[in-house]
Amino acid sequence: MKKRLVVLFSVLVIASMALSACGPGASKAPEACTEDPLGCAVIEKGQTIKIGMGAPMTGEYAAFGIDISQGASLAVKDAGQFEGFSFELVSEDDGGSPEGGASVANKLVSDPSVVAIAGHIFSGATLAAIPIYEKAGLPMLSPSATNPDLTAQGSKVFNRVVFTDATQGKFAASYLVDTLGISKLAVMHDGQAYGQGLAEVVRDEFGVLGGEVVAFEAITPGESDYSAALADIAAQGPEAIYYGGYAADAVVIVNQMSQADLGDVLFFGCDGTFGEDFVERTGDNGEGAYGTSLIPPASDAKTTFDAAYLETYGEEAGKLSPYTWSAYDSAAALIVAIESVAIVGKDGNLYVPRTAAVEAVRGIDGYVGLTGNVTCDAIGECASSGPTFYIVEGGDWVEAK
Amino acid sequence: MGIHNAVKNIKSISAYQVIQFVIGALFIGYILWRLNEILRVNPIYGPDTWMRFAIAGLILGSVYALIAIGYTLVYGILFMINFAHGEIMMIGAFGGYFVFEALNAIPTPTAADPELTFLSAQPVISVLLAFIVGMSVSALSGYFLEKIAYRPLRSAPRLVPLISAIGASIFLQNAGQLLFGAQRRDYLNPEVLTRGNGWEFPVGEGTVILPYTGALTFVLSFLILIGLFTLVQRTRLGRAMRAVAENKPVAALMGVDVDGVISRTFIISGAMAGAAGVMWGIHLGLVYYFVGFIPGIKAFTAAVLGGIGNIPGAMLGGFFLGIVEAIGPPILGLSFQLKDVIAFGILVLVLIFRPTGIMGEVLTEEKV
Amino acid sequence: MKAYLKNAATAGIIFGIITTFLFLINFIGTAADLIGDITKSRPGSSILGLSAVMFNQLIFLGLIGIWAGARGSRKDSRLEDTWKHVLIGGALAGAVHGLIAGSLAFLVGSLNTAGVKINEYLSQILPEVIRIFLLNKTPLQGALFYLVFMTLMGMLGGLFGRGVLRSTWRKNIGARRKELWNSLTHHEKVLKIRANPLTRYVVYGLLLLFVFLMPLQIGQYWNYTVGTIGIYVLLGLGLNIVVGMAGLLDLGYVAFFAIGAYSVALLTAPTPHNLQWSFWLVLPIGIILASLTGILLGIPVLRMRGDYLAIVTLGFGEIIRILSKSVLLTPFSGGPKGVFNVGAPTLFGKPFNSDVNFVWLITLGCLLVIFVTNRLQNSRVGRAWEAMREDETVAQAMGINTLTHKLMAFAIGAAFAGLGGILFASRNQFTGPEDHSLMVSINVLSLVIVGGMGSIPGVIAGAFVLKGLPEILRQLENYRVLFFGVLLVVMMVIRPEGLIPGSRQKLELQHTDKSQAPPDTADASEGSSPS
Repeated sequence: MKKRLVVLFSVLVIASMALSACGPGASKAPEACTEDPLGCAVIEKGQTIKIGMGAPMTGEYAAFGIDISQGASLAVKDAGQFEGFSFELVSEDDGGSPEGGASVANKLVSDPSVVAIAGHIFSGATLAAIPIYEKAGLPMLSPSATNPDLTAQGSKVFNRVVFTDATQGKFAASYLVDTLGISKLAVMHDGQAYGQGLAEVVRDEFGVLGGEVVAFEAITPGESDYSAALADIAAQGPEAIYYGGYAADAVVIVNQMSQADLGDVLFFGCDGTFGEDFVERTGDNGEGAYGTSLIPPASDAKTTFDAAYLETYGEEAGKLSPYTWSAYDSAAALIVAIESVAIVGKDGNLYVPRTAAVEAVRGIDGYVGLTGNVTCDAIGECASSGPTFYIVEGGDWVEAK
Repeated sequence: MGIHNAVKNIKSISAYQVIQFVIGALFIGYILWRLNEILRVNPIYGPDTWMRFAIAGLILGSVYALIAIGYTLVYGILFMINFAHGEIMMIGAFGGYFVFEALNAIPTPTAADPELTFLSAQPVISVLLAFIVGMSVSALSGYFLEKIAYRPLRSAPRLVPLISAIGASIFLQNAGQLLFGAQRRDYLNPEVLTRGNGWEFPVGEGTVILPYTGALTFVLSFLILIGLFTLVQRTRLGRAMRAVAENKPVAALMGVDVDGVISRTFIISGAMAGAAGVMWGIHLGLVYYFVGFIPGIKAFTAAVLGGIGNIPGAMLGGFFLGIVEAIGPPILGLSFQLKDVIAFGILVLVLIFRPTGIMGEVLTEEKV
Repeated sequence: MKAYLKNAATAGIIFGIITTFLFLINFIGTAADLIGDITKSRPGSSILGLSAVMFNQLIFLGLIGIWAGARGSRKDSRLEDTWKHVLIGGALAGAVHGLIAGSLAFLVGSLNTAGVKINEYLSQILPEVIRIFLLNKTPLQGALFYLVFMTLMGMLGGLFGRGVLRSTWRKNIGARRKELWNSLTHHEKVLKIRANPLTRYVVYGLLLLFVFLMPLQIGQYWNYTVGTIGIYVLLGLGLNIVVGMAGLLDLGYVAFFAIGAYSVALLTAPTPHNLQWSFWLVLPIGIILASLTGILLGIPVLRMRGDYLAIVTLGFGEIIRILSKSVLLTPFSGGPKGVFNVGAPTLFGKPFNSDVNFVWLITLGCLLVIFVTNRLQNSRVGRAWEAMREDETVAQAMGINTLTHKLMAFAIGAAFAGLGGILFASRNQFTGPEDHSLMVSINVLSLVIVGGMGSIPGVIAGAFVLKGLPEILRQLENYRVLFFGVLLVVMMVIRPEGLIPGSRQKLELQHTDKSQAPPDTADASEGSSPS
């Protein structure tokens, strides 16, 4: 038996050496590819042009990943054909964790027909994935990773269509002080990278603006009972609670506030807590709560999208997560950018020069999407607008004055 | 045991006792200092706040106690940790959820309220039905879980059923997600039990609310626990269960159907978990595939805290853990984010002083 | 009722439930897509008047039906395996199976026609899925179709079971193959070569060469996966010492992994402390820190029995994770965001920046740990651990100092985990609280048990199954974790001793008498009884 193994291994070793000797043979790739330092993505005739995505498809935050990939698939569907090639969205499950993000990134860069990444979804996973895409030259356009650090690192490939937590936090703090006249604020968050980052910005800004932060409290997300933590906060006598985190936990908090004698205290959420879900599940308790919206203003394009989403997935857009529309925009904008640099070779294959694609995505200018005008600046911030604040009135989100 | 061990104990335990004493003294000293600080020197919490902490802790504790009983029953008989117990609770919670949804679809219009549904018109029947269905589906899944994943492993080394249980837990959790979706769902309640409503009574400067749902949870779990205790102590089945826990081969020789008793134990423990799941839904208002995991781990901790295999111990452990989670952070002056750290820290401390939990292992003591 | 009919009906019910479940999680649709990928059928095309998706779905359902028939027609010990019995059994199993599948089709179909939004409660059951399941027919037609289809498939399965699975020629072939294999492996010349020590070195050398060359060929993604597997091998070997050899059930093993990862992260990364120490300096520091923590945890829990130990260690793992992400320690540990730009080792001025380098480094680590474990296992200490695992009181009576040996097991196990953590953080250039969740502990414990407790090749095989398989199963995205759970249960039921059991465990399990087995053989680490 050992002898067979010996033979097997020698064959394997020799084969692997032989394989390594012959690299990619002379191809009919267009010149742009040989000039491009990172080469080209090659899509053979009959194959699809793949847009990658790393999203949590299983686990606790699966709703985000499922929704965002659904929004993006609609964009891919709408894109139709390009020079006889159709697009395809490849959503890989990164579980929302950095480890998963790196694993998915490694997987996606190994596929030569993946040309761009509409993601990742969570900031932690994105941060872990950026260096891998950077090396391979895959442009990213995230619909939902809002951590300010992401663009601060000088990455060439990373861009996003949402505003950052820093922007949102500053706007929220000044809104609380100037418009709502709050002087005593309790800041809560879910202890995750996104929620805590946002909460820290609000805490600091609120202090700078002259308010008093009476409590800075983290909860454990995924639990269903926060009444003790809320009782603690109630004892500090805040006028409002700012919460950084996601709707799933915010709903529980809002519903339990009245039991903790916080019934009259204002709840101020963020873009993570915004959505149909929040209104539906808080009912009367949610009346008067604030949130930050990513919902684009009503437009024909949005109406069409919402109808298509409802028809395809049997659920209303925005119910699973607030990022449906930005997901659509990120995939659609990526497709436009890729189409602008893709070349059909003489052999009928489609070539996408990597560096050119990266530059094209960074250079997106004036793309009109569902969320408005998408234009990327020098560091990759492509959000068209700052946050808009919404308030729950009569069981619906209405724009706050 | 014998002389050798006794000599050994004297030699090695003296050092251990010193460590025990130092840790204990430090901890008690710190608690006393904190209590003085928070109650006399700088009283940031009024009596109303303390009352709210206590209510939150007791309600949570009663649910933990119910789940912990399930761990303890199974452990007492099979000496295995039923890791999938939290998922059984999730199944029960879904059972109750669907009952409420179905009852809410039955219109029973009256002159005063044309939109009244059966759920709000007959709250007692509705809640009873939810409990019956929730407990039944959980009991059933407990039964099949044992039959499929544990029974073939009766004679395997102890870690093997544990891994099987972990596998079952992963499977059930993901099946829950695939079947019912990833989103958290709202638990409908009969109108009388609207969450947030409750008896209000003034304490100190504020008003404390004892929510109806919370009171229901507390009272029901207490009744169920008493019922179970009677079952184990007074009935034939209880006697058979104790016999099997004591010694399986001898119990079999005495004419006890060992497999049957084990099956019934899983059914009872499943029903307890199902009841806990429905209560969780009624009181806290949500259900999703992950709803059982964290309470499962907590209840496991509670069961060990009380002395695993010991039924009153599991009850005590559950209440103790619930209260520690609610009152621990303010007493120690820490954030609520660290409540699990405190809970596990207390567990370690308790086990240092009483290596078999607060009440000890009644069922297995003679075996050791 | 005749026994074989009962058997057939039971099989039909079980398969009916399985089919129902697979439909409700929409695995049937996914499987149809998968079959479409394999057979390269174009989505738009139609076969036998059915669209490609429906046809592929029928292939999948037909396979399940055949399986049901084969199971349902199994030979009863008192009955002859006649064709008549086989056909009747298969048909009955198929009919019951079809009845359940048909009722399901009728139920969802009519609900759908009545306008009930089933997917509000069962999220996968979209109208489209129902339409495909009913093959564009009315609910009643669909139900009748499945009844007939499954009955036919069941009969086919019965024939298949009798004609192929249980046929005499198949048994003969199996026996002959075994004979041939034995004659080959036990041939004089082969035995001679096997006995020659040189062969061993040649094989090892070639294996090493293979391990060395492989990363150059398999590409970035598989290098990443192989690296992860390697790290889990390290963790598994460490836990194997604690659980497999010393019999101490540790559910918080991830704590030591976290300490290794965080020590390299905090000491080499530019944020939050900007110490930027060299990797090679941090390596021993991290390992020592991890093993010191192991001892520190070991002292208070020494006197606890198996399951108490389990929950305390579980709690300890959670404590480390919660603290690392807490607001309290954010300035020290980087908080929930974690630590980025963790330093990589440099060798002769050349930094490790490719995936290939890390696979080599991790492999080197694995080889080192395998060597150490191997030596330990056969040493005095290893034997003392095993004695302790089997019976602590007896071990004490034999003059083994159980306290120091337990601490040693903890310390060495923790050191391996620390090494794993260091390599993990350094390779990923990142570590954060979510890398150190309870799931890691559970995964490592599972891989040790699945592989075979106390066996080094077993741990390696376990790591490949548990970390490699989910990566391969990525095709089935949403279902891979579900299958992982099923796999664990099935594995434990059909092969509880693990894939490659250690020689001792194998013996133990073979000699265990079913009725008289003591409940605990693996970790009967009972402390002195409570006073």
